Amino acid sequence: MGISDVIPVPVAIDEEIEKWTIWGRPVADVWFTTTEKIHQIIQMGPIKNVLNWGRKNSLWFLMQPMGCCGVEMLVFGCPHYDCDRFGIIPRATPRQADVMIISGYITRKYLPAIKNLWEQMLEPKWCIAVGECAISGGPFYDSYNIIQNTSDFFPIDVYVPGCPPRPEQFIKGFVELQEKIKQRKDKRGY
Amino acid sequence: MLSAIQSAFPGSVLESRVESDRRLWITVDPKKLVEITQFLRDKKDFDHYSGAAGVDRINENLFEVVEILTSHGAHQVVVMMKVRVPRDKPSVRSLTGLYWNANWYEREIWEMYGINFEGHPELYPLLLPDELVGYWPWRKDFKGYPDTTTGERAIEQVGPDGYTEFKIMPHPEMIKAGVVPERPKYPTFREREEAEIKSDSEMIMHMGPQHAIVPGPFLLDLLIEGERVKKAFLDVGYIHKGIEKIMENRTYLQGIVYTDRMCYLASITNNEAYCGAVERLLNITPPERAQYIRVILAELSRIQSHLLGTGEFLTLLGAATYSPFQYMIIDREDLVYLMESITGARITHTFVRFGGVRNDLPDGFADKARPILKRMRERTEEYMDLLHSDPIYTRRMRGIGVLSPGDARRLGVSGPPLRASDTPYDMRREDPILVYPDLDFKVVTRKAGDAEARVEVRLEEILESIHIIEQCLDQIPEGPIQEKLPKKIKPEPGEAYYRVEDPRGEMGFYVISDGSEKPYRVKVRGPVYAYMQALPPLLEGAYVADVVAIAGSMDACTSEVDR
Repeated sequence: MGISDVIPVPVAIDEEIEKWTIWGRPVADVWFTTTEKIHQIIQMGPIKNVLNWGRKNSLWFLMQPMGCCGVEMLVFGCPHYDCDRFGIIPRATPRQADVMIISGYITRKYLPAIKNLWEQMLEPKWCIAVGECAISGGPFYDSYNIIQNTSDFFPIDVYVPGCPPRPEQFIKGFVELQEKIKQRKDKRGY
Repeated sequence: MLSAIQSAFPGSVLESRVESDRRLWITVDPKKLVEITQFLRDKKDFDHYSGAAGVDRINENLFEVVEILTSHGAHQVVVMMKVRVPRDKPSVRSLTGLYWNANWYEREIWEMYGINFEGHPELYPLLLPDELVGYWPWRKDFKGYPDTTTGERAIEQVGPDGYTEFKIMPHPEMIKAGVVPERPKYPTFREREEAEIKSDSEMIMHMGPQHAIVPGPFLLDLLIEGERVKKAFLDVGYIHKGIEKIMENRTYLQGIVYTDRMCYLASITNNEAYCGAVERLLNITPPERAQYIRVILAELSRIQSHLLGTGEFLTLLGAATYSPFQYMIIDREDLVYLMESITGARITHTFVRFGGVRNDLPDGFADKARPILKRMRERTEEYMDLLHSDPIYTRRMRGIGVLSPGDARRLGVSGPPLRASDTPYDMRREDPILVYPDLDFKVVTRKAGDAEARVEVRLEEILESIHIIEQCLDQIPEGPIQEKLPKKIKPEPGEAYYRVEDPRGEMGFYVISDGSEKPYRVKVRGPVYAYMQALPPLLEGAYVADVVAIAGSMDACTSEVDR
């Protein structure tokens, strides 16, 4: 959409303004534009880095314990390991969470439910697979009820190996996710 | 006992074996099953239905159902009563009329083996997803095991109401074998709403599967009228892993790893139960030092489980802005550190071995443990004071979820909830194992039977456990920690049932050996299975606000229910 479509201006001024640019794009696009376009511009500009800095320092995760790793997740959220230092806080509902920790085996019966949980989470959101079961089925890999290829169903950014991993490894996983967000290399590309 | 049964029912006891003064194995005529059970219940004080197991005897073309009956303290005999039925059209008479809690055990056997139970009120799937019903996965000729393609066969579909659904197509092997399953379905939300809601003032509230009540998902559908729960429906099986099937396909030693992952807060006691059962098959006893080490670890594991269970429960109530939980976790870390110094793992230890333990205690363990235990005792007393003197807490907890002693026995619960209902039933006393008979401890009971009493029992048990550990540290002898065993463990054909006191109650392992390297059948009788089954009747008539308090005070662990 050009500027002259909206306000009839003398041709000379119109031409002059269309020569102006901001971040490599015509300034006219920026002035008369939609939310979508603003988003596109934010995507390319340094504003994004500022937003991501905020996001990476407030990763709230969904308390959704499923297996042994769920117990370590509880402990990770508590004072001894003190995840608050990194801005990581446990939440009980998916509507308030940014990160989903898949902390155990995904079964046939639970797959639809956990997918629903993932869809209920608001953007931006990230996913961490913790423990062998969530990565590849773990010791239950040949069971009739376990989904082995979790990454086909969820865009997993960080894999934390271990059976179960120690709470320190949870912290390391989160720090790696923060690094990914900072470098804008996460799967969903925020 | 055996002669009493034989004289009352001549000709219907087909086989019998007296293993010790606490175990009796009998095989009875399927036609007389209900009568014999009724005789045992009414005349011989067998008021505790402990569980049931299905066994697929494919070589003899038979199915076996093993009913485990015992008593709440009147005597210590465990009767393992077997019924054999032919493999085509198997059918057994249901015991739900005699024991209320036979319901879930029979449902599980039905969905896993396809054995029909005549007279069962609600025979629909318990643990399995809808698409697996009818394949009877625990039969020995089930084609879908091993299966590493489940995820690849998943098809995503968007349903008419806009939700994404997943369908998992049958295994190619099953299609080749031509298994055509019949599918009695679990009722969907909508069907349940249509069936149950009778008036405008009622509605169904869904809690779960993801909910902060326990570590693990389950679904609680509450039919509520105003603020009261009229009826509750429980759906479990969201993390059913098929551990019993997997253990049949691993060697005996590899099986220990799976017992850890069954209930990760009680992994040592699970190890203990499994290894104890296999030791009975091998006919060995561990050396005395190993027994002491096992007791120390089991009690440490009980303390940390109770701390986490109580703490988590308090967060559900929002108690004192989250803080007792935080303190309990800090205390628990000390204990976990202590256990880690012995076993090398934080929660999944895989430490107990057949005829001993893996490692000896590290140097200076007693000196390290004593101050931690002392501090633990002070802290526990502090928690008890804190909870006792908090008027908000007591008003919230007193008199809710009351289980009378009779009800608690009838529902089949064990462990702290049963002891809080004035029944001193503890496996460490009933079925003594290891060095427990030499140790001095008391079985903690309470009269009230409400949610507050359950928490009190747990906290006081922590003190008892500390007392036991301190005795063990004083008495522990020097010596070997492992019996000599061959590298490949092959027990003689036979079977054994062994039970221990889990932090949550009675945990039993039933292992059958056929003389090969792998167990023929492993059955787990877990305590939480019984708790969860008792939850719906317990919730009836409660306020919606109390549901979390009641369910949380049972300290459930879904992973062990689903296995």
